[in-house]
This record gives sequence, structure tokens and C-alpha cells, in this order.
Amino acid sequence: MPSDVSAPVSNGKPGRLRRLIAARAEGEALRKGNLLVLAVLLLVAVVALLPFYWMLSSSLRMPDQMFANPVQWIPNPINWASYPEAWGAQNFGRYFFNSSVVAVLITLGNLLFCSLAAYSLTKFRFRGRHLSFMLILSTMMLPLEITMVPLFLIVNSFGWTNSYQGLVVPFLVEGFGVFLMRQYMLSIPTDVIEAARIDGASELRIFWMIVMPLCKPALVALAIFTFREAWDLYIWPLVIITDDALRTLPLGISLFMSGYGTAWDQVMAIAVLGTLPMALLFFFLQRAFIQGIAGTGLK
Amino acid sequence: MSPVSSSRSARPGPASSGPKTPGRRPWLTPGSKQTAFAWAILLPALLILAIFRFLPMLEAFYLSFTDYDLISPPRWVGLQNFIDLTQDPLFLKSVQVSLIYVSCSVIPVIPLSLGLAILFNRALLARNFLRSAIFMPVVMPAVVMAVVWTFMYQQDGVMNTILGWVGIDPVPWLRSSSTALWSVIMIGIWRAVPYYMVIFLAGLQAIPRDYYDAAKIDGAGSWATFRYITLPLLKPTMLLVVVMNVIVAMKVFAVPMIMTGGGPGDATRVLPLFIYQTAFEFFDMGKASAMSVVMFAILMAFAFIQVRLFTRKEEQ
Repeated sequence: MPSDVSAPVSNGKPGRLRRLIAARAEGEALRKGNLLVLAVLLLVAVVALLPFYWMLSSSLRMPDQMFANPVQWIPNPINWASYPEAWGAQNFGRYFFNSSVVAVLITLGNLLFCSLAAYSLTKFRFRGRHLSFMLILSTMMLPLEITMVPLFLIVNSFGWTNSYQGLVVPFLVEGFGVFLMRQYMLSIPTDVIEAARIDGASELRIFWMIVMPLCKPALVALAIFTFREAWDLYIWPLVIITDDALRTLPLGISLFMSGYGTAWDQVMAIAVLGTLPMALLFFFLQRAFIQGIAGTGLK
Repeated sequence: MSPVSSSRSARPGPASSGPKTPGRRPWLTPGSKQTAFAWAILLPALLILAIFRFLPMLEAFYLSFTDYDLISPPRWVGLQNFIDLTQDPLFLKSVQVSLIYVSCSVIPVIPLSLGLAILFNRALLARNFLRSAIFMPVVMPAVVMAVVWTFMYQQDGVMNTILGWVGIDPVPWLRSSSTALWSVIMIGIWRAVPYYMVIFLAGLQAIPRDYYDAAKIDGAGSWATFRYITLPLLKPTMLLVVVMNVIVAMKVFAVPMIMTGGGPGDATRVLPLFIYQTAFEFFDMGKASAMSVVMFAILMAFAFIQVRLFTRKEEQ
């Protein structure tokens, strides 16, 4: 079914209003039920947020009070020093830069190549189209963890170990991304494209000026999904990167933890900094972020 | 509709996978130039996937029949690697750990995330705020999660403090082989539930309101409504969530690698971790590839079971 990626999680005004009215009408019983629901959800929220709070407060706690009894929930005095100490202990600026480059390039690659492939598969008819789509889809069953040994040999034979190419190129296209874009493009009316053609627009121009802007909700979903996955990449950099200047942030963090495992204030400070980019992205793009993840569930 | 396009849409085969909205032509007018363009824009994706997905998979199959240490060229050994694996207690244990990990993280995640989605699918005070708060674990990078929870799982850590409040003795969490795997599974669930909750919520909101109104008029209770309306209509979402969840759980690596390194003993050495160690610590590429093939077979078996399970229910 062609469905609108932006539709699901959004609080469409009419639906919300209707539900509110319905809730009113049901009166006291429902309100009591809602209170119970609220209590359950609050408890779940505490479980979800506790590690965040603990990470933040521990990064600011004095090292000698880390395991104090009773627990020091609010750090006193506040230990700001953990941040500069941790940051200076390893080449974290460089790791941040590497992770950003890799995640941005992988995201851009997926936006472009998945959209191109999806456009080809949805709006053109040619022999081998169906087979191509099935092949692309089947890569979703081939996670990196299965193919990493030969993939390492291939990338190594290109001379791409310890390089940005090695970190980025194998992930420029994801079968899932093609699937997501295709589902969305099915809902774009072909007439619009045909009309542009009659007006004499070139195929590439049609794709760029008409199809891509129409796909904006799906592109946002794909971008957020891909960026999150790319920022998380761990096993692959671990396999092909040995040069410290090319380490990504997850590698840096795990290395720091094995080296400074007992300096918990510093480890937590780095953990906070490592969460910050995703947390900021989430903070500013909350709805798009949630819809992005929800959009990945559309059939 | 022009006669040309109607005869085209009547043709069976691949075309049937396109949208069938009447009055809307699914395909652009074909022409040799257009076909060339279609191939040209499809090619980058196909090429990258061929080189970095299919080629490695084929090579994994080949290498699984060889003995290869990266120094001397691969030597053909037939089924020897697979025979060795069946007699390797470490490998069998690793398969067992992975299967426990997958089943024990997938089975609780489904009701938990669906339950939360149902609770959220209504008018509620501070609904968006609560949803964002509960969604936060999805935002935390996997490596950060591993580091933070390792800290929380310390003997004098905050988890044992909280248990102390309700009178439970300190748990050794990651330090005992009887609790380590469960500790790792628990945080996997912590991060997975909000993710699938959001997907279920999207699925729930796609169910037309009218169905529920009709059920109410017919006097259906909330359980009946759930059982006969929500659940059947949610089946595609459910299948997707189970499939995604199994793949994600099967390939878990960073968390056990960082938190325990597979230990204590081999209590948390999941299959990807064992493959990694065999390949990049012991440089036994042939054996590691044979393990990869086994892991692929397990994933395929899971996919097969899931599809069978869901289609059989449909027939009833």
C-alpha cells in the first residue's frame, strides 16, 4: 500500500479532537483509567531516563564519591574537571570529526543512491526490474556480521583499510533504504512526471526538481534512520581501522573505557559528549526523528 | 484511461506489484532512451550492493570450505570446517548463547512495545512529552549504552542501590556467568522497546477509527476489540517488527564486546563476537566463514518460521 510516511505518528488535528471529545464524554471512569495509564507511563519514562541522568550526574561527581553511600544523586561539589581531562586524554576531537564525516557521507550517499534506484524501480518498466528489486531487498538478510570476513578481504585488496573510503563506500546503499523510498514513490502521481516530460524537461531534471522535492518526508525519515545507524557503526571500524587518526567515536569511547575504566567521572563525561550529537538532533527534530523511525515500519 | 495503458495494466506479472489506483497510470511511457536512463540510475545501487554484499556472501561460502590464515593462499578442505564446528563445544555454546539472546530479547519486546503503543494511542495528559522521554534510549549510541550500563552494573553501582531499596541483595550482574547474559539482554530490551513502540504506534494510528466505533456500537468489550480488530489489522506491522527484531538481536556485537568481551567464561559470547574473534584474533578465516554460513542459515530459518507462522494464522 502506498502510504504517507508523515501521516502515522502525527497528531492529525481532527483525530485528536475527536478523541478528546470522546474522552470527555466517557466521563469519570475513563479519567480514572487515564490516571493509571499516566502513572504507568511515568514509571516507564523514569526507567528510560535513569541511565541518562546517572550518566550526566556521574560525569559531574567527584571521583571519590562515585560509589558513596548513601548515593549522591546531585553531585556536590560539581566536578567540571572531568570533561577537559577526558577530552584531553585521547584524540577525541579527531574521533568526533571522523565520525561526523563518515555518518554524513553515508547518509548523503543513501539519500541519493536509494532514491535513484527507487525512482528507477517504481516509475520505469524494463526487463530485469523485478529481479533487481528482489536482489536489492534480499541484502536486508545479509547483515555485516555475516559478511565481514570476506568484506574485509575485499576492502583490503582495494587498499582501503585505514581509510575513509573503507569506512564509507560499503555502506553508501542499503537495501532497506531503497525499499523505504520505493514505498513512498509509489504514491507519487505519474502524471506529474509525464507532464514535465511533455514540457521538455530532461529525465535527470525531472528527478531532481520534481520527484525529490515530493519525497521530502521519506527523505527525512531515511536521513535520520541512516545517520543514527552510521553514528553507531562499531564492528566495521574495529575491523579495518588501526590508525588512531582514523578512529571513529565509538572506537575511541570503547578504547577509553578499557584504558581508563576506573576513572568513571571521565568515562561518563565522554559518554555524555558522545550522546550529545544524537540528543541535539532529537531535541530539534523531535517529530521528524520519531516519524523517521516510525516511517521505517511502513509496509 | 487510454486503451494502451488499460491493456498494459491487465497484463499479469511484475506490473501487478505497482499501485492499482484506477485512473492513475503507474508507469511512465516506455522508450529506449527512458530504459537506458532507468538502468543508469539503478546501476550505482546495484553495483555497490553487488561488490559489498553479494560478492562477500559468495566468498563466505567459498572460504567456508577452505583453510585460510591470511598468509598462505586458501586451501580447499571440503566440509572439514563444518565437521569441526559440530564438535567444537565453544561454537555450540556460542550458538546457544545467541539463540537465548534472540528469543529472550524478541519475546518480551513484542508485548512491551505493543502495550506501550496502545497506552499512547489515546488522548493523554503530556502525551508528546512522555513519548519523547520514553523514546530517549533509541537516541543513545550503542557504545555509550554499553559504557553507561557497565558503570550502573558495578557491584556498588546504582542498580544494586535501587535493588537495596526494595530489600533485594546485590546482584553480581556482569561478573557472574549465571547473570551476565541476562544483564546484557535486559539493556537490549531497554533500547529496543521504545524503537518498536513507535513503529507499533504508527501501525495503530493507520487503523481507521470507524472500525472501533463500529465495534463499540456492536457492544464489543476492549479485549474483543483488541483481539478481533487491532491484532488482525496490525499483523503486517507485527511481522515486520519480529523480522527486524530478530535480525537486530542476531547481530548484536558492540554491547557484549564492550561490556564483557564475551565472558565471564563464554557466558555472553554471541555468534558475531565469536566470528570476530576467530577471524581477527586467531586469523582462522575458513572457520570464521563457516560460522558465518551457519549464522546465515539460522537467520534464514528464523525468517522461514516467521513467514510460515504469520501466513498460517491468516488461513484460519
